[in-house]
Amino acid sequence: MSSDEIVDPTVQNDASIKRVLLHLVLPFGVLVLVVGAIAAIGLHSYRSTRAGVVALTHELLGAVQQNISQEVSDYIMPAMAGNIIASGMITHAPPQVADRVFNSYGAAMLQSVPQLQSFYLGDEDGHFRLITRGPDGKNQERTTFELHDGKQVYHREFYTDDGVKTGEEYTDATGYDPRKRPWYANTEGKTDTQWTQPYLFATARQFVMTSSLRFKGANGHTYVFATNISLNELSTFLDHLKVGKTGNAIILDSKGRVIAGRNIMQQAEAAGWDPNKMVLDPKTHPVFARGYDHYRVRGFGPRSFELNGKRYVTIASPLKNSAEGWILLLSAPESDFANFARQSSQQSLQFAGIIIVFSLVLAGFLVRQVRRSERVARKLGQQGAQIAHETAAVQQVAATPRLFDPTAEPLVLTEQLVHITDARRASIWRLLHDGAAMICEDSYDQKQDAHSGGFEMSRADLGELFETIEAGDVLTVENAATDERTRQFERLVMRELGTRMLAIYPIHGPKGIMGGLVLEDAHMAPHLLYFVDLMASIAGIRLAETADDAGTHALAAEDIPGTATSATPLPAPRYDNMLMQAPQVAGVSTSGIYPSVAVLVITFSDPVVDGEAETKSLLQLINALATDVQRISRERGLFAVEVAGHRMICMAGCTVEEDPTAIIRIADAALTMRETFMATLAAANLEPVFAMGLDYGAAFGGAVGEDPKVFNLWGQTVSLAELMAQGASDGGTIQVTDRVYQALRDRYLFRSRGSFFAPHLGLGRAYILAARR
Amino acid sequence: MDTRIAGPLLELNKAVPSFEESGLPPVPFSMKLMPGDCMVVEARSTSRATMFADLCCGLVPLDDGAVRFMGLDWADLHDRELNALRGRIGRMTRRASWPEFLNTHLAITLQQLHHTSRPLDDIVAEAARLGELFGLPGLPVLRPSMLSDVDLLRAGCVRAFLGRPRLLLLEDPLEGSPVDLQNPFLSAITDARDRGAGVIWLVRNNAIWQGYRQGITSIWRLADDGLVEIRTA
Repeated sequence: MSSDEIVDPTVQNDASIKRVLLHLVLPFGVLVLVVGAIAAIGLHSYRSTRAGVVALTHELLGAVQQNISQEVSDYIMPAMAGNIIASGMITHAPPQVADRVFNSYGAAMLQSVPQLQSFYLGDEDGHFRLITRGPDGKNQERTTFELHDGKQVYHREFYTDDGVKTGEEYTDATGYDPRKRPWYANTEGKTDTQWTQPYLFATARQFVMTSSLRFKGANGHTYVFATNISLNELSTFLDHLKVGKTGNAIILDSKGRVIAGRNIMQQAEAAGWDPNKMVLDPKTHPVFARGYDHYRVRGFGPRSFELNGKRYVTIASPLKNSAEGWILLLSAPESDFANFARQSSQQSLQFAGIIIVFSLVLAGFLVRQVRRSERVARKLGQQGAQIAHETAAVQQVAATPRLFDPTAEPLVLTEQLVHITDARRASIWRLLHDGAAMICEDSYDQKQDAHSGGFEMSRADLGELFETIEAGDVLTVENAATDERTRQFERLVMRELGTRMLAIYPIHGPKGIMGGLVLEDAHMAPHLLYFVDLMASIAGIRLAETADDAGTHALAAEDIPGTATSATPLPAPRYDNMLMQAPQVAGVSTSGIYPSVAVLVITFSDPVVDGEAETKSLLQLINALATDVQRISRERGLFAVEVAGHRMICMAGCTVEEDPTAIIRIADAALTMRETFMATLAAANLEPVFAMGLDYGAAFGGAVGEDPKVFNLWGQTVSLAELMAQGASDGGTIQVTDRVYQALRDRYLFRSRGSFFAPHLGLGRAYILAARR
Repeated sequence: MDTRIAGPLLELNKAVPSFEESGLPPVPFSMKLMPGDCMVVEARSTSRATMFADLCCGLVPLDDGAVRFMGLDWADLHDRELNALRGRIGRMTRRASWPEFLNTHLAITLQQLHHTSRPLDDIVAEAARLGELFGLPGLPVLRPSMLSDVDLLRAGCVRAFLGRPRLLLLEDPLEGSPVDLQNPFLSAITDARDRGAGVIWLVRNNAIWQGYRQGITSIWRLADDGLVEIRTA
């Protein structure tokens, strides 16, 4: 991916949705399913338990109801059965002892059956006998209805339980007629046991009802035997009866009047001791009232309903062997029976909650683990990609033809270094002259996609950096401008690109440190060291070969006439428009076509000046550069140097005969000028604002004008040299044509810049002149 | 530096375009374009040439086969990656392709602004340089409709070559263009090829590319029977 691209199309993110589905939705989906299943099972369990509990409650209530029915039946039975027994005894006893039979029976029954209160015996003639308990519930009182002196009186005789008479009295009973009493009257024309309405004795706080039976005695008289039975005992029984935990029971008659039940006396008191008013009040007995309503609408049986947010169960059943139309009503809160079910449900819920929490934790762990493993897998994938990346880079390096041939250019090394480390620029520097100087063999700029090289730096300028490289240590500096060792390097080389970070890896050769690999703004990862070391080793082999070759070429260079070391210097420049040496111009002898002219065009960027002082210093700098050019031109024996605006045109070989040394001299001059310019500009803290173009070939020219005559040169060679200078990729580079490359390839180092289509010239290749071999 | 891919830059592997969608003959198209190659495709019909360029961009549904660009099958990519990958293609088309709601300089730089994080200054500098190369005094800032046809063609060239595209799909920009556009165009093609880009140059007649004959890698013809290779240089 190009570092500028926002989206890398080679990286597919299609897995993300699938990944989310697989890693998040699936575990949580399963978790939700589990939770749902637990909840559903819990609900089902709760419902079935509740249904079971309700059934059980009904059964329990049924059992309780049967029990109560039996109890009530047992309670009332002595009254009913007693009537029959007593009437039988009285019927079959002789009339003379009928009274005694009655008394004996009554006394015995009162002693043994606590709920029985008293017995009556009346006949059609208005005779009346009564046996009852004493006021304190002990002993007995026998009363007969008698006529004393024409007055109706009660003759009361008091007996102990053992039958000992303790006293008697007579009380007035005027107007009393037993035949008009309800217990007597309601047996009229009936032969079975009849019950009176309950009635209350406010003084005795007794709630009593009477059963009576009409029978015929042996003497032909009609008798009515009646038994008073107290319902208080029944109420007490019901009071103590437990239905569930907090439930209770009540007995009603067919008209809804309370016969027996809890707190019957309070109810009676509230009703003003009127049994007819003792009906169920929804305010005091809301549950029974509702249950009774259910019974009235739906009949006997168990019913469930909700009242004030609480569920109740009631059961209404008829009471057999009791007075006609009596109803037993039981009620209890459902919770009394269903509590354990609720507790069980709550426990189930708690267990489910614990399971859910555990499941959540486990699901969280699972998701975390899956994500972690995915991250690791991604990292592995990235590492794999990086390895593939590096392998491809190594393969590309390995596949480069003449990799170790010092005459071939090592472009691939810097390119791949930049590619792998994502550095802004990578360069290979070689130590020269036993470490006195260092030359840039090749420098590749990622952004410009351009190679350059040939820069030379001396130990005098960068002593500390040289020492660091020679020490063989890897140097990594975050900010090269602030480090003593790299400050000068930053000013000279890095500032041009504006890079900050510098990493220098030593290049080891057979004879020690050969140079260094320099990476600017590289993203170095630890695992990249292997690759950088590999590249450094390859560069080392190449540099070793280069050093060997340099030794063999050194002598040849010295043989070139006009070079700095030449013993026989060429004549001084004959035409030098910059120097304006008119007498020399006048000495031109030939004009016309020159077959092998070497033309060097140097272009400078237009300076920006602000203020007089700056202009002055700039003019001084330009003067210094011009002086250098003059000096170097003389040293290298150039033919002429023209200066025009911000361009200089240096030429050599303007001879009719072909001059093979012209191109070598001018190339030497170009390299020397470049180094001089670089140093001068760096000293003035300026970027390398110049570019050089070099071509070699035929041109035509001659002296023009009069006094002074000026030499001028035209032709494709000049145009191409200008084109090369204008099209130079970088400041401070010397761009040359294919022809120059062909002529100098054995003596100098070049980097290819690629093919170019030039108008009128077609396709051609351009090279950067880097350094001498 | 961009990585040069090892395999073909663009590969049509028995790709059968949907006739209903494209109007291209529903026959298998097969060809390979390597990095640095320049392929001339002769197509008499401009609309068919446009459709063929669409096919190369993965814009035409296929009935069969595959079209791979830089090793990636268009059919396997999602929208995000598709768009990003198309950002690597420089295209000149006969189809109306200038948005009227943007001025030309924005329309030229839009692709780079959308697909890359390059600084605006960089993009503008590159566009201006290309503009000068193609004979414009700078970046045109008027609306496309206000430019002359020739200047719009030049702007189209700038747009196509901006941002170092990996593939250039050029629908005959030289036909009917001024002569002075030819050299910059060929120069730009050469430059792009040197960087490893592949060029598909769709032409209507042979005369156009004769001046660049030496640089052509292969010549194909887009006809009713599909894509036929005429000669390999």
